[in-house]
Amino acid sequence: MTERKAQAALVIGGGVAGMQAALDIANQGFKVYLVERTPSIGGRMAQIDKTFPTLDCSACILTPKLSEVSHHKHINLLTYSEVGSVTGKSGDFHVRIRRKARFVKEDLCSGCGDCAAECPTEVPNEFDMNIGFRKAIYIGFPQATPNVYTVDKENCINCGRCVKACQRNAIDMEMTDRTLDIHVGAIIIATGFELFDVSQYPRLGYGHYPNVIHAMEFERLINAAGPTHGHLVRLSDGRKPHSIGFVQCVGARDVQKGVPYCSRVCCMYSIKNAVMALEHYPDAEVSVYYADIRAFGKGFEEFYEMAKKRFGVRFVRGRVAEVMEGKNTGNLVVKVEDTESSTIRLVEHDMVVISPGIIPPEGMDTLATKMGIAKSDDGYVQIAHSFFGPTLTKVPGVFVCGCADGPKDIPDSVSAGSSAAMKATIILSKGGA
Amino acid sequence: MSDIKEEPRIGVFVCHCGHNIAGTVDVASVAAMARKLPNVAFATDEMFMCSDAGQTLIKNKIKELDLNRVVVASCSPRMHEPTFRRVVEEAGVNRYLFDQVNLREHVSWCHSREPEKATEKAKDLVRMSVARAAKLESLPIKSVEVIPKTLVVGGGIAGLRASLDIAERGFDVILVEKDSQLGGHVAKWTHLFPSDESGAQIIGPLISDVRKHKRIKVHVRSKVSDFDGFIGNFGVTIKNLDTEKKRRYEVGAVIVATGFEPFKPVGYYGYGTHPDIITLAELQEIKPNEMLLKPSDGKPVKNLVFIGCVGSREPGKKGHEHCSRHCCSATAKAAGDLRDRVDEALILYQDIRTYGKGHEEFQRLARQKHVIYSKFPQDAKPEVTIKRGKIHLRWFDVLGGVELEFEPDLLVLASAMIPPADMDETAKMFSLTRSGDGFFNPEHIKLAPLTTHTAGVMIAGASQAAKNASESVIDASGAAAKAVSLMAQGKVEIESTVSHVISDLCSSCHTCVTACPYGAIAMDEEHDPPIAFVTEAKCKGCGTCAAACPSSAIIMYHSTDDQIMAMVEAYLCTTPEAQGGGSA
Repeated sequence: MTERKAQAALVIGGGVAGMQAALDIANQGFKVYLVERTPSIGGRMAQIDKTFPTLDCSACILTPKLSEVSHHKHINLLTYSEVGSVTGKSGDFHVRIRRKARFVKEDLCSGCGDCAAECPTEVPNEFDMNIGFRKAIYIGFPQATPNVYTVDKENCINCGRCVKACQRNAIDMEMTDRTLDIHVGAIIIATGFELFDVSQYPRLGYGHYPNVIHAMEFERLINAAGPTHGHLVRLSDGRKPHSIGFVQCVGARDVQKGVPYCSRVCCMYSIKNAVMALEHYPDAEVSVYYADIRAFGKGFEEFYEMAKKRFGVRFVRGRVAEVMEGKNTGNLVVKVEDTESSTIRLVEHDMVVISPGIIPPEGMDTLATKMGIAKSDDGYVQIAHSFFGPTLTKVPGVFVCGCADGPKDIPDSVSAGSSAAMKATIILSKGGA
Repeated sequence: MSDIKEEPRIGVFVCHCGHNIAGTVDVASVAAMARKLPNVAFATDEMFMCSDAGQTLIKNKIKELDLNRVVVASCSPRMHEPTFRRVVEEAGVNRYLFDQVNLREHVSWCHSREPEKATEKAKDLVRMSVARAAKLESLPIKSVEVIPKTLVVGGGIAGLRASLDIAERGFDVILVEKDSQLGGHVAKWTHLFPSDESGAQIIGPLISDVRKHKRIKVHVRSKVSDFDGFIGNFGVTIKNLDTEKKRRYEVGAVIVATGFEPFKPVGYYGYGTHPDIITLAELQEIKPNEMLLKPSDGKPVKNLVFIGCVGSREPGKKGHEHCSRHCCSATAKAAGDLRDRVDEALILYQDIRTYGKGHEEFQRLARQKHVIYSKFPQDAKPEVTIKRGKIHLRWFDVLGGVELEFEPDLLVLASAMIPPADMDETAKMFSLTRSGDGFFNPEHIKLAPLTTHTAGVMIAGASQAAKNASESVIDASGAAAKAVSLMAQGKVEIESTVSHVISDLCSSCHTCVTACPYGAIAMDEEHDPPIAFVTEAKCKGCGTCAAACPSSAIIMYHSTDDQIMAMVEAYLCTTPEAQGGGSA
């Protein structure tokens, strides 16, 4: 079609892996289109409170990256957008991007928030795992990048108050979806993961008992910018929990539920959350019910030891059989076999946190079909080869990083992002595979 | 360093950091206090200064009020100094006219139970910063050229991969390997997971591609004997270990991929006292045969036992506290592979950490083949005794709650990955720091796992932490991307917060030359008498030289005596009236 080979790359997914890939390509002087489905980049890491094993504040270490991406002269950030169609081959892909109407003009909105202050409609905020509320015109979180509001048309009542409130005339209720056709030499898939729906285990009580929550809800509850300003409370009555149980391997390492693999991050995020619970309430009793503790990364084992010795987190080896709710108290009873002493125990907690495993994101099937890439048995992107091409897919010119090809923690996702970027730029510099 | 001294007009921005700071510190009163300080033209508090809204606020106020100094009181400058420097620069203020006060790590987080005192401390710090800001001077933005060539140290799977990627991208590579062969540990291994290929099958094509590539110059049996310079402009001397011949190169970037060493577990489980007690690494090197044979007498192995966490996960034992990451999966794969050739195979473990893609399946496969897993307690490890030439094993099986005994023909110890013996030498050579596990410290454990605190020096593979071969390959390409970014840009900015010698005051005493930990100061012998001079790209701005100089001949830009004294005075004298050297 064109004589000139594409000197640009497409990165799909604006989480930490995709952002890193975009930066490492752009820093070599190539143009990058970074496409993100939601209104802001940042991905899952933006929702997390602290990171293991250093307890760094997640948003704090992430924000410089968000800022770097959004100000990079070679990165064209396309948020609230999706990949429509892909044709062509390595070095010469033609991609159609669907830019969803956000009903706010990105170039005019200054993120001042006057619109949201006027908006009368409150809906649960998905960024806070629906614990807190947002308006129908919203930004997900304070560091959202770009700092541009989005109208949630499903909940908007078309009252027009935001339109009047906006001094910059940035709100356009007539906006429609647009398409953008781009020409790129290489594509990187960094579409991340989704949390396993833990209500698929009815015996664990999630969805029935208000004090059974899952780990991402816990992250938002302990986050200073979260719905409770960081006050860890029970959702049933707002009381401080004195005894918390963490339930491991839910939707992971379970052949019956179609998730035979280990999710790699749950052991560590739960140990971190257990430590954070004790940082909030040093007198609390915190137990982790586990199958194996998989503290395998740099500094992880040392962190696990610290959780046991310095913080006094109790680790009980056993898969939880059932969670029951006590009468009137909202307290919970965990039934578990302590496999180290071969005893069946009933333990009372006033809060139970379930650690969901991670699964491929929604839309992975359609994306795979569009790209012609293969998927592995577990539903993630199939990599070309563990040693020759751990970030290569079976389609030349299409690469993968982060959790799109399987669960990974943050440093492994970042490293894979850089790695995929390297491979993509080799294609760009040669003009094809 | 402009000659025209304009009147300082300082803007002070106090950040809530959500609830992080504002939950403890009364941020509004800090801003109100700042508003009354001399030279302050504007002061406010804001939810998140690092957000786009906060950044825009700074820019708008700079333009609106003609601010020429900015103080942000928020988190550690390690977090957001680059962000705010960029922000002020975009609004036309030199980045060195910005100062950051750390109200979070230094105040709210550590004094969370004393909000009043925390607020007082916050006010002190802001007052000091404002005093310093008034004395700040703009400094030039400098950059240096990057030599388009990378040095890769280590010819294992990570070093080979990094070299090939850089070369394929069109840049030159110097690859140095101390061994006489390329390929590292992987070349020797038979049970590589998660593939069914042997290590040799994996590494062979990589070696031949590296050998063939015209952009890669390989030095085997060689080590880096001398290394100097700075990002973009390193000088490296490579010495052949046999001939002692030296060769010097100039490179722009370095990737250290010096890998690991399998721990020799002398003193653990009878290792060294019986020929049939070997490490997993030694098992890996046994040539694949139809039968698994005992090293002692060459007879077939009937009973095979693996013990995990040998020299790993030992709390309180320096260098052995970490998990070695690869061993659980490697053991599962090896046990599964060998199960068909032996009568019984056991794996004694603490936790089964088969976390990776496809690794859980190895463990399941091993179990399906009736490999027996038995968990032992952390505080009561299995005991090995040698009775009449036979290995006798005794341990407590946690899950069965019973004491067990077994006599394996071959006992395989899954020993730790530890740094190679010359790790310290490598660390000193490239000014790298090491973490508790003995491996190199990355620049940031989460978000910058491949770069280091030495600008221009990257780390890849097991030199950073215990990891498997596939993970090392990913790292290697990632580190290559960092090196290529530098080389492709061709130029890199360097800090101006460096020291400077006032030649007229220098007394040629050499004190600073010895004091400098970075070798950034040398004597200019052409000058008579010789005077000290600073190589700016090597200077890290630590100020040691300025403190050591007996003649006060060294200025530390951005931390001048004047600026520091202003802060001390502001701390001691809480009101502007008391400042200025009065004897009140």
